[in-house]
Amino acid sequence: MSAVNTELKPADAVVSAPFFLRGELVEGQDALHRSRDLGVTFATPRIDLDRAVHPRTEVPPLLNVPLAEIIDFLVETGERLRDPGNPFVEECIDRMAATHVLPRAVLEGQVKGAATYLDKRLLYTVVEQNFPDPKALDEWVLKQDFTGRKSFVRAFAPRLVHVLPGNSPGVAVKSIAQGAMVKAVNLFKMSSSDPFTTVAVLRTMADIDPGHAIVKSMSAVYWRGGDDAVERALYRPQYFDKIVAWGGGDAISNVTKYLGPGFQLVSFDPKTSISMVGREAVMSDEALDLAAGLAAADVMVLNQEACVASRFIFVEADQRDADRFCERLHARITEKAAGSGDARPLDLDLREQIDTLVMLDDEFRVWGKTDGKGLVIRSDEPVDFHPINKTANVVRVDSLDDAIRYVNVATQTVGFYPHQRMPDYRDRLASCGAQRIVRLGEAGPSTIGNPHDAMYPLHRFVHWMAHEDGVVLGGGD
Amino acid sequence: MSPATEKLTRLIAAEDRFDHSHAELRETQLEALDERFQERKDRIKLLGHRAREAGTTEIRSREDMVPLLFPHTVYKSYPESFLIEERWDRLGKWLGTVSPHPISPVETSNITDIDDWIERLAAKGHYVSCSSGTTGKSAMLLASEQDMEWSRTDTVNVFSWGSGVRPERDRRMMGLAPTAAVPKNLVIGAAQQAAFGDPARERFRLPIPAITVGSLTKMIVLRKKIADGTALPGELAEFDRTSTARQEALDKAMIAGAEALIRYRHEKLYISGLWNALYQVAKIVRDMGYSAKDFHPDNCIYVGGGLKRAQLPPDYQEFVHQTFNIPANRDFQNYSMQELNSGMPKCQKGGRYHVPPWIVPFILDEQGQTLLPHETGEVEGRAAFYDLSLDGRWGGIITGDKISLDFSPCACGCKGASVRNNIVRYADLQGDDKIGCAGTIDAYVRGLS
Repeated sequence: MSAVNTELKPADAVVSAPFFLRGELVEGQDALHRSRDLGVTFATPRIDLDRAVHPRTEVPPLLNVPLAEIIDFLVETGERLRDPGNPFVEECIDRMAATHVLPRAVLEGQVKGAATYLDKRLLYTVVEQNFPDPKALDEWVLKQDFTGRKSFVRAFAPRLVHVLPGNSPGVAVKSIAQGAMVKAVNLFKMSSSDPFTTVAVLRTMADIDPGHAIVKSMSAVYWRGGDDAVERALYRPQYFDKIVAWGGGDAISNVTKYLGPGFQLVSFDPKTSISMVGREAVMSDEALDLAAGLAAADVMVLNQEACVASRFIFVEADQRDADRFCERLHARITEKAAGSGDARPLDLDLREQIDTLVMLDDEFRVWGKTDGKGLVIRSDEPVDFHPINKTANVVRVDSLDDAIRYVNVATQTVGFYPHQRMPDYRDRLASCGAQRIVRLGEAGPSTIGNPHDAMYPLHRFVHWMAHEDGVVLGGGD
Repeated sequence: MSPATEKLTRLIAAEDRFDHSHAELRETQLEALDERFQERKDRIKLLGHRAREAGTTEIRSREDMVPLLFPHTVYKSYPESFLIEERWDRLGKWLGTVSPHPISPVETSNITDIDDWIERLAAKGHYVSCSSGTTGKSAMLLASEQDMEWSRTDTVNVFSWGSGVRPERDRRMMGLAPTAAVPKNLVIGAAQQAAFGDPARERFRLPIPAITVGSLTKMIVLRKKIADGTALPGELAEFDRTSTARQEALDKAMIAGAEALIRYRHEKLYISGLWNALYQVAKIVRDMGYSAKDFHPDNCIYVGGGLKRAQLPPDYQEFVHQTFNIPANRDFQNYSMQELNSGMPKCQKGGRYHVPPWIVPFILDEQGQTLLPHETGEVEGRAAFYDLSLDGRWGGIITGDKISLDFSPCACGCKGASVRNNIVRYADLQGDDKIGCAGTIDAYVRGLS
């Protein structure tokens, strides 16, 4: 038996992942890639780089399509995505189940659930929250200052590359909708753990109207992130205004080397979310049950694959009460884990670190096993590792004030119990770098159109353009 | 020591130790694995835990051993705060979870730093060697006096077998490695010197202060402070200044090393170092106008460690060898790691690394969870080993390396298991590009190495 130097094992099932280039489906099996999560191989066509860019000499196809028409199109897309007979979605889920860490039912729920973003009122709200005057998307809006100088301003359609994450298929739908609403020319770089959803959504759109400007404005391809041969050619201001990238580490450091005048980064940074549970939670059994249940809900968002999912829970209690909380939290996490049918074992080195803490039992206490069915670790300061795969670290503190020092520039959501104490903490949390503070148990939902990653993204996407139009006589006052 | 283990480890100096086939060793190795397991299961806490989880009571097949092999990361599983906050008693307790021998209590109230702590442990017979992790935590590997003794012998045997150099104490030792001053490195250096060095000729050392565990730890502490947001800009600027000064001292030391090599060029040399330093020194020597023709034709070279992410031209090995006139049949290479206590030297003829009888090799799947079927021929996968010679810690380790292990005889004639010369670290393989929105503060800490 000799299998030396064969990175891609032919024994693996090869799943095919087609591309979508400015309205057209491109099929092919020219390149094999590996999704390391499950060791599955997928095949893609060769990228025709020339077709992935839209010439600057042609205005973006969506520029003069009214926002209202775009939103109507997106709403219809949403209906088709939810339609059980949609062949593109069915096929996509089949393929995805082979390459994704999350179980099929969770994925199905996500793709269908993502379609709820394509709601008329919701989309209008997003636009209205992002732009003081959404008309600027449709036309040149007249401005005049106090000196009488007059101009027209347009939220001009940008050219965007979106580097999509792989841990949340819903982001694909959202990115397509946002790219469409700002009327951008969009190139979506898909992730190896989901090279399917974006194309499935775009095919659904092409099925509605293959010639529509919205469809002509969208391309979705895969290349291995960091592949210089592709990125050095594409990541240029002559082709794109902005790169919208999710994630950190190598994913971002690969991108940053291409930034420069005219080619800007809009980054959705990698984040850790936490919870803060006040002493009110241990005052009664009812409160304890309630808080543990809410905390478990926040831990288990997308089975803890998402950035909003809580990983560290600061509990204001003595050790005995903290342990009571841990016990209930563990019970609720395992319930949810069992319900999801997801029992991936923990990675080896995470297992090793947790098992070590089990041995150091005078300082740490561990509820559950490292079997992927839910685990809680109690400690006096946050553990060194990143709790993932249904793992919660309960950090006991004398006062929630002591927990503030663990909030940093990587902190996204802070779930709070009881919510009445949130105003006392929000300034300090923001100052440390946190971006959202929510009621415990509500890490997932957010007010429609609210800032994400400390910004209004759509406002950042567009190419703000001014047309200066002289001074109105007697206009100054 | 128990009979099967004893039978295998007794071969330490046997001339034909690499000539025992897998089939020939299989049963004895299995017995020895069980002996080791039975002796250790109630003494190493973590092993006991693993065995209970897996429901293992004896080792009847190599498969039985797989869940009991420790990932190499186990030796960095201590909570970092123990190190950063200098909680020596806690670190001692952690060591106790991976040690088969009770950690003798040391006085911790007046310990000045980690080097002091390590020294006090060594005085009690616990030798802690720390690896210099490129990022984050360093591994702490515990060894006993018996392990140190084994290293002294094994390192000399491995070098002698692999390079063909006889230990005749007739060379000037030229140490060109800025290595960490940890017990294992010190023992190996001293043993090589005693075996190959001419006692009348002084050993050359790079004129720089030794890299101590304490100095490595300072960097880890600073990294943590940056992540926490408690490091101030002045502190970072100061760190940069220190790093620059250290680099300048190192650059100067390299010149001193090159000058010494030129000075002793007519003598028979034993040159040791890491590839990066050796390459730099060789370049300086060439720039100074010297090359192979100026050096003794019977020089030899001992290279430790891998490239450690250094960027060198593809022909760096030839360049170094040619500069110092190393004969072609003296190309010494050794496959080993801090986690093992024995080496696997490369043969000259077959170009493969040879596994000694007291190391039981396992090829696992990439995840390190399943033993790949392997009775004959060559199989590729994640390397794991059980080093039966180890006394001061559990001998079973799952490495980060992807290797090809062959049970067929090697071109050099040896019938024992051997490893192809194409070892890579899984971490260095082109990973995929999975990105997600969930991430840690590590992504926000820039440039510290």
